[in-house]
Amino acid sequence: MAKADALGQFEQVVMTAILMLRDDAYGVTIHAKVEELARPKAVSLGAVYVTLDRLEDKGFVGSWLSDPTPERGGRSRRYYRLGALGERALQESAVTAKRIWDGIVEIWGKEWAKEWGKRWGKEAG
Amino acid sequence: MPSPPRSLELLIGLLIPPACREEVLGDLHERFTNLPRYVADVLTSVPFVILSRIRRTTDFQVLLMEACVLYLSFWGAARLEDVAFLDFRFGYLRLAIPAATTLLFLMLADAYAVPGRGWVLKSLRAPVFGLAIACLSQLWLPKEHPDLTLPRWILLCGEAAGLLLVCTVRMLSPPPADRPQGAGGPVFWLHLDSVSLSPEAWRIAKGAGMLAVAALLGALLGYGPKAAPQVLVILAVAIAAYQVRRWR
Repeated sequence: MAKADALGQFEQVVMTAILMLRDDAYGVTIHAKVEELARPKAVSLGAVYVTLDRLEDKGFVGSWLSDPTPERGGRSRRYYRLGALGERALQESAVTAKRIWDGIVEIWGKEWAKEWGKRWGKEAG
Repeated sequence: MPSPPRSLELLIGLLIPPACREEVLGDLHERFTNLPRYVADVLTSVPFVILSRIRRTTDFQVLLMEACVLYLSFWGAARLEDVAFLDFRFGYLRLAIPAATTLLFLMLADAYAVPGRGWVLKSLRAPVFGLAIACLSQLWLPKEHPDLTLPRWILLCGEAAGLLLVCTVRMLSPPPADRPQGAGGPVFWLHLDSVSLSPEAWRIAKGAGMLAVAALLGALLGYGPKAAPQVLVILAVAIAAYQVRRWR
């Protein structure tokens, strides 16, 4: 099996957004979900488009056009879905992130982890 | 339901490359709440969409080859028409201006082309328009910067040779967007099926084509064996860089 390319941090966020949105992942919803995941950083729509193009070129995501809808002025949506290679790359990234988290907790202690857990919980609402 | 002004949408639609116009305009329409926010959305998305499309449609190895053959065409024309011109102030820089203008146009033409439609015709049409614009830019330059223009015969001979060579390069290497595509991007096995040549045979054919181009350029220069080695060395380096990139 071919080795999957490494993912950048923003690519991981965009791919996670696509994964969470399942069958409703298109430009507007992906941007909203990415803003939610990347809080408190603001994310431009252009950055999301560029990253989606790059992920498509790498073969991590696939896309297709839907039928036109009236709320979009009679234009189609481009839906995105993770490919097998993309899922594998995201899994590898998640495992690495978990190892980083475990390593930090080991050094900075469980109290620090609890405090950050509470803070993230509040932010997530 | 609020919607953006039709005329503004039409104008923005012209700026967005056709390959992604549908979804980007639709997304902007869906996000519309008021005009200032719409304009902000346009400003933070459209330039990136254009740059991303240019990146996707530009094969930098092919662009390098096109730059080489264009510059060599003007350089050859200068040697043929007036060797002393190269010793003038900005002599070599002046040769690069029409070449750079043409390259810029070719990049934009590829980005704004509708993918998959008549790439053979596009391969010929884009260099014709690109070189025509380079010629027009030379008509404008004398008024502002007379020391940056090319003499008319050097310009015309360079453009004729450049047109021939760039068309050849583009026929041998169509833009990435016009190569066979799978659902999510270029697919290697689809590419193999469509060209019915093994990858090695395809590389050899491209190499042979480039050598033929180099020989033709040598003949155009009229210096025969005297000029051919210089041309061959430059083109061989370009081909080698291209092939090394492919094999990696």
